[in-house]
Amino acid sequence: MSKLFKTGLLAAGFAALLGSTGLSAKTLVFCSEGSPENFQPALNTTNTTLDADRPAYDQLVEFTPGTTDVVPGLAEKYEVSKDGLEIVFHLRKGVKFHSLKGFKPTRDFNADDVLFSFNRQWKDDNPYHKVSGGAYDYFNDMDMPKLLKSIEKVDDYTVKVTLNEPNATIIPNFAMDFASIESAEYADYLLKAGTPEKIDQEPVGTGPFQFVAYQKDAVLRYKAFDQFWGGRPKIDTLVFAITPDAEARYAKLQKNECQIMVGPLPADLKGMQANPDLNVMSQQGLNDAYLSFNMKKPPFDKKEVRQALVMAIDKKNIIEDVYEGTGASATTLIPPFMLGYNDKIPEYPYDPEKAKQLLASAGVKTPLDVDLWYQPVYRPYNPNGKRMGELMQADLAKIGVNAHLVTYEWGDYRKRLQNGEATISQMGWTGDNGDPDNFFFLFDCATARDGGQNYARWCNKDYNDRFLKAQQTFDKDERAKLYREMQQITHDEVPYLNIAHSVVYVPMRKNLVGFKVSPLGRFEFHQVELK
Amino acid sequence: MLTYALKRIAQTVPTFIALVALTFFALRLVPGDPVEVRVGEHGISPERLAEFRHQLGLDLPVWQQFLHYLWQILHGDFGISVVSQQSVLSEFFARFPATIELSAVSLVLAVGLGVPLGIVAALSRGTFVDYTVTALAVIGNSMPIFWWGILLVLLVSLKLDLTPVDGRIDNVAYYFDPDQTTGFMLWDSFWSDQDGAFLSALSHLILPSIVLGTIPLAVIMRITRSAMLEVLGEDYVRTARAKGLSPLRVVGLHALRNALIPVVTAIGLMVGTLIAGAVQTETVFSWPGIGKWLIDSFNRRDYPALQGGVLIISILVTLVNLSVDLLYGIINPRISHGR
Repeated sequence: MSKLFKTGLLAAGFAALLGSTGLSAKTLVFCSEGSPENFQPALNTTNTTLDADRPAYDQLVEFTPGTTDVVPGLAEKYEVSKDGLEIVFHLRKGVKFHSLKGFKPTRDFNADDVLFSFNRQWKDDNPYHKVSGGAYDYFNDMDMPKLLKSIEKVDDYTVKVTLNEPNATIIPNFAMDFASIESAEYADYLLKAGTPEKIDQEPVGTGPFQFVAYQKDAVLRYKAFDQFWGGRPKIDTLVFAITPDAEARYAKLQKNECQIMVGPLPADLKGMQANPDLNVMSQQGLNDAYLSFNMKKPPFDKKEVRQALVMAIDKKNIIEDVYEGTGASATTLIPPFMLGYNDKIPEYPYDPEKAKQLLASAGVKTPLDVDLWYQPVYRPYNPNGKRMGELMQADLAKIGVNAHLVTYEWGDYRKRLQNGEATISQMGWTGDNGDPDNFFFLFDCATARDGGQNYARWCNKDYNDRFLKAQQTFDKDERAKLYREMQQITHDEVPYLNIAHSVVYVPMRKNLVGFKVSPLGRFEFHQVELK
Repeated sequence: MLTYALKRIAQTVPTFIALVALTFFALRLVPGDPVEVRVGEHGISPERLAEFRHQLGLDLPVWQQFLHYLWQILHGDFGISVVSQQSVLSEFFARFPATIELSAVSLVLAVGLGVPLGIVAALSRGTFVDYTVTALAVIGNSMPIFWWGILLVLLVSLKLDLTPVDGRIDNVAYYFDPDQTTGFMLWDSFWSDQDGAFLSALSHLILPSIVLGTIPLAVIMRITRSAMLEVLGEDYVRTARAKGLSPLRVVGLHALRNALIPVVTAIGLMVGTLIAGAVQTETVFSWPGIGKWLIDSFNRRDYPALQGGVLIISILVTLVNLSVDLLYGIINPRISHGR
């Protein structure tokens, strides 16, 4: 009982102390929405997990926070050969790795770490290849096994990457999370200790924050890494308070139990913006919601029919109703801040009368019955697929098209789309590396095959030639020109209707400064400060 | 007694097999493919899809998958979580103390308030007090947990600023090394040398335990009331009264003892209700327990985790029921003699 009394007494004293002086160590609490799957960026694809892994790691090149610009990271500089087949990375010297209970690094970061990090994902014979399930989705998705010919150590601070074919997007790829650099020495240590899987649970990297502890589903704790090569962070402790409920996140933010949160509910935005203690930042997201017309299925093989549907759908209404102000109308596949965005592409007007004429001129007899597939789950680029489907259904009815709403469980939905089962279907995309190629590949001829992601099954030679050429062109202006032309072709051929780029809102306390909203949807805290 | 115990234990074997089958096949009926869900928008080549399937054993016929699973369970292996790649058993027990702690406090709250309120209602039968208590029980029993939780957060945490919003302890002020603690926050914080930690843990428990305890509280209240009413009409109570015993003695000693029997039975059966309620309560309050873990696993179609989690819970509930039955046998020998 005396212990209880003592605890109570001291708690009161402690609370008074807190009230008067505040905590001396600067702790930033981030209200995140879910638990990380593990602490290995190479194994993960979700932002929730990557946000939690990222503080510990660096890549050879990195995205400047708040942009998709690639700048040197662990590689001080790099050179690309004229033919685009060789990239030489010159590594930064004196970069320290974190230490953990039981492990203290004896050497600085060098080429061995780079080789280990990529070989783990690439080479079957790497002892870590199969550890923790060994599913390296991003490495494979970004076509790395096909692109890479070799990764060699020239000396301790030089790494040469040889490609099978030139590829202009390879540099942004090296800035992605899957390309995070791990410690080869730590890997050896764990292998000897017989606990290799720990590498994915207790991260050792070179990043601005050092892992302290993770309590499952509750809290994740990092501390500032004093020896970080890019300069010690301005906060001392970084805490991820895992708070799956959006209402609870907002409540915590209001009470200053956290200083920044992810994923506000659109309905709460007005209140947040009116709150004098909060600052709501926003940026157009690196994504696109679109509606594909399967051109293998008549009458959608006819351009007039596709145009008619596009003109029959009142996009403005969808943006207002479905996105509640958190979306911007999309005219092309890529958002305006990306390389090669064509600002000359006009919107198709909302014109049901013209749409009817187009249908008639295409010889389509109304009423026309068609299945309209809507997304069954919330996606960052489409908050409510069902509602969007209903609005489209109502619009289409006005031109004599009876759209029947269809959906499936999310995994099933995607599988069926890839099998080409749908006629008109909602889908969307979030960019991975900030490169336009990462969007345009969705409609190239290679992905129009069965099982591919080109749900319009659209294969256009003019588009495809330019797409392939852009992939092998390192000149930015030349690539931008090609992409602009491709957007024009797409606009003319209407294989799909671009609906919206969502707007990402990040609410935070006013005393948090230096945070940049990332178009890649990232939460990064190296540069932030608590005033 | 021994024969009864053995018989009773033997009876649980088919229950276990049925449980394994039920959790296994029920999940197969849920639409969605764990491999597809894992992939996301990015798509995947058919070869890699097949590889994943193979790794998870999903390429085998379902009956083979089932036999394989049964064999694994018999060896205490509940599989590996698809998401975290860690053993389901260790994932489960990492969250178990949080749920137990929350359920235990909720139950204490429910019994501590439910029994006295039930007694009061019975003793004042037909009066305003009785109607109020009964009405409250009905409301409590039909309250949607999610709504009730959010309502309390808005009112108590935000408006009145009396309790924290969620979590188990103030994460900024207090830090516990998960390797060196029991996982029971009240216990860990009490014995830690961080002053104020215990109070913080306690204050975090208030709202979630009220939310989770509401339905059991309502149930216990109603059962106590009707059991009490029944007992009060019995001959021995009348005799006790006639003997001139004080009302307190009559109610407290004679009536309550017998009235509590159905209440205790109900509490035994409430384990399941608590776990089901925990799924929602834990989500609202970001309580890092089993309930939230199961929901996450379901959303990610983490078959092994979900299957293993549900099964471990079912086994635990079955074991609790078994021990309750055996205890009854000891308390009331008539049961064990098969009468």
